[in-house]
Amino acid sequence: MAKIDFNFRKKLNAMIGGELHSYCFQCGACVGDCPAARYSPRFNPRRIMLQAILGQADPLLAEDSVIWECTNCYNCYERCPQDVRPVEVIMALKNMTHKARTNPQQVNDMVKAVQETGRTVVLTSVVDRRRGEMGLEKMGDVPMDEIRKLMQTRFH
Amino acid sequence: MNLRYIPFFGCMISAKYPQFEAAVRKTLPRLGIELVDVEGFSCCPDPIYFKSSDKLTWLTLAARNLCLAEEAGLDLVTMCSGCTATLSETRHLLTGDPKLKARVNRRLQRIGRTFRGTIRVRHIVTVIRDDLGIDKVAQSVTRPLEGMRVAIHYGCHLLKPSRVMSVDDPDRPTILEDLVAAIGAEPVSHQERVLCCGKACMDEEMPAQMTYDVLASVEKLNVDCMGLICPTCFDEYDLGQLKLARKFGKRFDIPIIYYFQLLALAQGFNPEDMGLHWHKIKAPKLIEKLGAVAG
Ligand code: SF4
Ligand code: SF4
Repeated sequence: MAKIDFNFRKKLNAMIGGELHSYCFQCGACVGDCPAARYSPRFNPRRIMLQAILGQADPLLAEDSVIWECTNCYNCYERCPQDVRPVEVIMALKNMTHKARTNPQQVNDMVKAVQETGRTVVLTSVVDRRRGEMGLEKMGDVPMDEIRKLMQTRFH
Repeated sequence: MNLRYIPFFGCMISAKYPQFEAAVRKTLPRLGIELVDVEGFSCCPDPIYFKSSDKLTWLTLAARNLCLAEEAGLDLVTMCSGCTATLSETRHLLTGDPKLKARVNRRLQRIGRTFRGTIRVRHIVTVIRDDLGIDKVAQSVTRPLEGMRVAIHYGCHLLKPSRVMSVDDPDRPTILEDLVAAIGAEPVSHQERVLCCGKACMDEEMPAQMTYDVLASVEKLNVDCMGLICPTCFDEYDLGQLKLARKFGKRFDIPIIYYFQLLALAQGFNPEDMGLHWHKIKAPKLIEKLGAVAG
């Protein structure tokens, strides 16, 4: 078994605003309607919570971590009797991979797009033309000075 | 009641599927709903990838969008389930947690803004049901979609987390069925109606399997189209059908239509004006049934 990383556990608890190990009692109610568990034999939200409780940071934050199979459907959030909100714990783990630079490239691409344009889709002449054909005006500008200031993690 | 709202269309509808925006903008005035546009919105930002990077930055950018609506003093109305998820959750978290709100507001100070929590975020279907009344939708119809069978797909973020979204019962929702019935069509429930579209799952195989299973469950029911409300689901099921044809050699040929396009057809607009010809899966039979001029 992997070593218990108490520091990881502390950080995770701070991010989710509670003490995961004191309220997830491993009942498995989050598993039954989990589409990722239905389609992937290695995915199980109960087990991910257990790994988090045990402080098994390495597999959870690795590049090939199972957390990226989560579809973000929120069924576990609905089902959990203990209000663990497994999907939000998984989200917090994803945030930790971003700090550790082990997250998938798609996440970085999306952040970059918002940093550069304030949007997640690139505006091309095709967009303008299609909007025009539908009788719609061009999309308005995003005040990028505001967006950039807000996206800096350290601000002077 | 004064039915005025600030629309938040988001990146995906505005840029990728402007036909959905057009359908909303054309149909709502006929229901007596007025949209008051506000300038300067950014991406909501997206509740999957962007939120995966840094939740505090995600909350802050979302709060900025909410600030713009607060300054204009009207509720926000959302048309995309992803935008709804981001903006509703942000409002929910910040109004319920003074410490978090203070943290976000410290960042917002950099641009001289403050989140107060004075306006609400509403998905357009709840505005129609709760502020207007679904009977008004029926009254706006000039060409009822009689004999048209519409398989309903809800998608996840419209309904869940139900505590935050407060749209409908996440296990037994009826709001889309009611809206489809109001335009004279027959809502059809399929076996996988609450299965996730799979778009957020970053695996090579799983999303395709999920899309396949939903479409296969719809295929059995002999419907004219699948009606939905989320542009991300639309992507998965419309463009997705081309991918499935390549991957599995299976052609479903099920037209996928955003609810407000259906409403527009029922209000007498032409399929071409609603951009149906831009969809990957064309709907010639449906258009013929409608008795409308095909594009
Ligand atoms: S997260 Fe909730 S539902 Fe899942 S095992 Fe823990 S207590 Fe049970
Ligand atoms: S959100 Fe929860 S139920 Fe849905 S795929 Fe992720 S872990 Fe499973």
